[in-house]
Amino acid sequence: MSPVEGIEAADRARRLQRVAERLAEAVTPEEVLDAVLSEGVRAAEARAGAIGVLSADGKSVELLAQQGYDPAVMTGWASFPLDADLPMSQVVRTGAALFIPSLRERNELFPALAHQGQEGHAVVVVPLAVAGRVFGAMSLSFDDDIDFGLERREMKMTLARQAAQALARSRLLEAEQALRKRMTFLAEASDLLASSLDYNRTLRQLARLSVPGLADWCAIDILGPNGEIERLAVAHQDPEKVRWARELQERYPPDPKAPHGVAQVLRSGEPEFFSQIPPEVLDESIGDDQELRRIVDELGLRASICVPLKARGRILGALTLIAAETHPLYTQADFELATELAHRAAVAVDNARLFREAERGANAALALAYVADGVVLLDREGRVRHWNGAAAAITGVDEEDALGRPVREVVSGWDTLAALVPLVPPGSAPRPVTLPLAHAGRERWVAVTGVGFGQGTVYALQDVTEEHALEKTRSDFVATASHELRTPLAAVYGAVRTLRRGDVELSEDDRTLFLEMIESEATRLATIIDQILLTGQLDAGAVEIDATECDPAEIAASVIDSAAMHVPEDISLALDPDGSPRIVCDENKLRQVLVNLVDNAIKYSPGGGRVEIRLRRETSHCLIEVVDDGLGIPMDERNRIFEKFYRLDPQQTKGVGGSGLGLYICRELVERMNGQLTVASQPGRGSTFTVELPLRR
Amino acid sequence: MLVIDDERTIRLLCRVNLAASGMDVIEAADGRSGIELARKERPDLVLLDVMMPDVDGWTVARELAKDERTRDIPVVFLTARADPADRRLGVQLGGVGYLVKPFDPVAIGGVVEEVLARIERGEREQLRRDISSGAER
Repeated sequence: MSPVEGIEAADRARRLQRVAERLAEAVTPEEVLDAVLSEGVRAAEARAGAIGVLSADGKSVELLAQQGYDPAVMTGWASFPLDADLPMSQVVRTGAALFIPSLRERNELFPALAHQGQEGHAVVVVPLAVAGRVFGAMSLSFDDDIDFGLERREMKMTLARQAAQALARSRLLEAEQALRKRMTFLAEASDLLASSLDYNRTLRQLARLSVPGLADWCAIDILGPNGEIERLAVAHQDPEKVRWARELQERYPPDPKAPHGVAQVLRSGEPEFFSQIPPEVLDESIGDDQELRRIVDELGLRASICVPLKARGRILGALTLIAAETHPLYTQADFELATELAHRAAVAVDNARLFREAERGANAALALAYVADGVVLLDREGRVRHWNGAAAAITGVDEEDALGRPVREVVSGWDTLAALVPLVPPGSAPRPVTLPLAHAGRERWVAVTGVGFGQGTVYALQDVTEEHALEKTRSDFVATASHELRTPLAAVYGAVRTLRRGDVELSEDDRTLFLEMIESEATRLATIIDQILLTGQLDAGAVEIDATECDPAEIAASVIDSAAMHVPEDISLALDPDGSPRIVCDENKLRQVLVNLVDNAIKYSPGGGRVEIRLRRETSHCLIEVVDDGLGIPMDERNRIFEKFYRLDPQQTKGVGGSGLGLYICRELVERMNGQLTVASQPGRGSTFTVELPLRR
Repeated sequence: MLVIDDERTIRLLCRVNLAASGMDVIEAADGRSGIELARKERPDLVLLDVMMPDVDGWTVARELAKDERTRDIPVVFLTARADPADRRLGVQLGGVGYLVKPFDPVAIGGVVEEVLARIERGEREQLRRDISSGAER
């Protein structure tokens, strides 16, 4: 080595040393590129330098940075195909360095470059490789034609190795940081998704979480039950833009047939990934709408990822990420992250839905188990699929004896019932049909509705046996009441018609008889009407009891006195007061009861006799007995006489006439005064009606 | 004429007004004695109440129809029961007239005369059909 050569070698070593120092300080790829180009170009004594790397898909070379070239010349060289006949492409392809001493030789070797960049001279392109794998190349351009000697070649190769290692290291670091960021994001997103079963809310939060780290715009769409696209969330850092996007969504509702984007992804279930959105895709989506084109241009959509939310083979929706004004173009790693995010979101949505369904199912089962109406579900063959507790109670057939069997075998009267119940389609309002359901010797009245749907029919059964009995009683009451009114009315009307008859001369006795008839039958009508009204009030619970302290002996005496005014001559009245305790009751109501009992006693003593009121004092009660020695009451009718409209078979009472309500009213009144009305009787020897009322405390 | 009714007032109305039409009237205050009287006296026509204690009017009509002696005596029901079902039962039991209370006693003589005249003309079945349609009211 000559002294000059020695100095040059030392100089190269020093320059390389400085590059190494700068590179050691550089952390990010940008810093590394800057260090390589500023220090490396200087160290190599080159005019300009550029670094290109293999693209993610391995099909092209992308220029990462350059220094010293005219930017205007470089604009066309941001990216070029790996298989192009260009120096950098060739070096990346072959891994072999190129040392081209002059422009003439460059133009011979690469005719594609023959007509451009004519101001340079020598060119060096060295591969950037780590562990034998070429991932890029560095080119250096010189101001002179240079015949590169071994040392100079070696120096460029060393420079390339240093640059490659630093670049690879920084890229690895960056990738690692990006990965960590993604993992952190995924973990955060997972926590969010697991935080609540309200998936609508969590998905909205997820969209917000995704900007601006993952996208400029994030949208989440959910597929509705009828295939409609529902935009659940739109997120952008700027709330103003979100509002604007919502308005835009209303003006341009999603078209399920759209060739790209959400609609396409929801249709196909396949993701759509544009690391850079091709203009023709935008053109297809926009169509001829100039206004829309203006909006899309303003949005500046550059890259997009749209991935389906898929769980258990079902498409639930789609997650869309868009890089527009700030976010870098999307890489494969971004796409993978989006896919993973969509997967987790879909599982969360699916879980939430399953949970909700399960909960709904459990609630429905509870409701069916405890609802008071019988619910019977039949399949298309008429087999019992559901038989709730109330259905069991109404029919008397247990669930386990009904399930799976044809319903006509379960309940003998079912076919008769089903024939009378019209089946309505779901959603319409059926009118319940009230009818008797007979099974195993028992009969219940049920109000039934039936709804027919695809898989079978569901019947709802309401037990209205009591209401039906009540209704029957009510209609019987009206019928009987009208009958009771017709007879006295016939007498009054008939008597008046007869009296006014011009063609017949009535005897004075007959005239008197008819006038008396009018009077007594009109009175009877009034009594019946009063009693019907009172019965109605009692049934409605509208009778007020004005309980005061009173003297039963006094009341009994006044009843006897007024009865004495119209009592037949062959009947004697008596009162046995016996110490006369004071009691608590409604004086007027008690008087009403006693008048009725005394009238009855007289009525049922057609052969004459004695009617007596006796007062008896017990420990806590006062007994008021109305005693007669008349016809008495047959054993089997003793309870029935207190029923509405029940009448004994008293041939001897002709002309007296009763409403059939007297004793019913008496018992009801006494019971409302906290007392009891009972009867003891011996047929042929008389009856004793006993009113038992509480003593004054 | 035989009037069977447990109500004294109705019997009185029938007696006075039928007498005014020149008819003889006998009365029974219950179903049992009504059947006996019909068998014994063979009246031209029976005016029959339905709601009577013990033996009711339906039973009386059945008994009369069963007995050869009383089978052909026309029966006109005179009742507070106004249901169509009751009218049908009246026809089933052989009734040729059905008067619902309250009725016009002044017209009753005419009603009885018409029923008898139509039966004379052989229109018994026509009369029974009239009950079902409620034509005589």
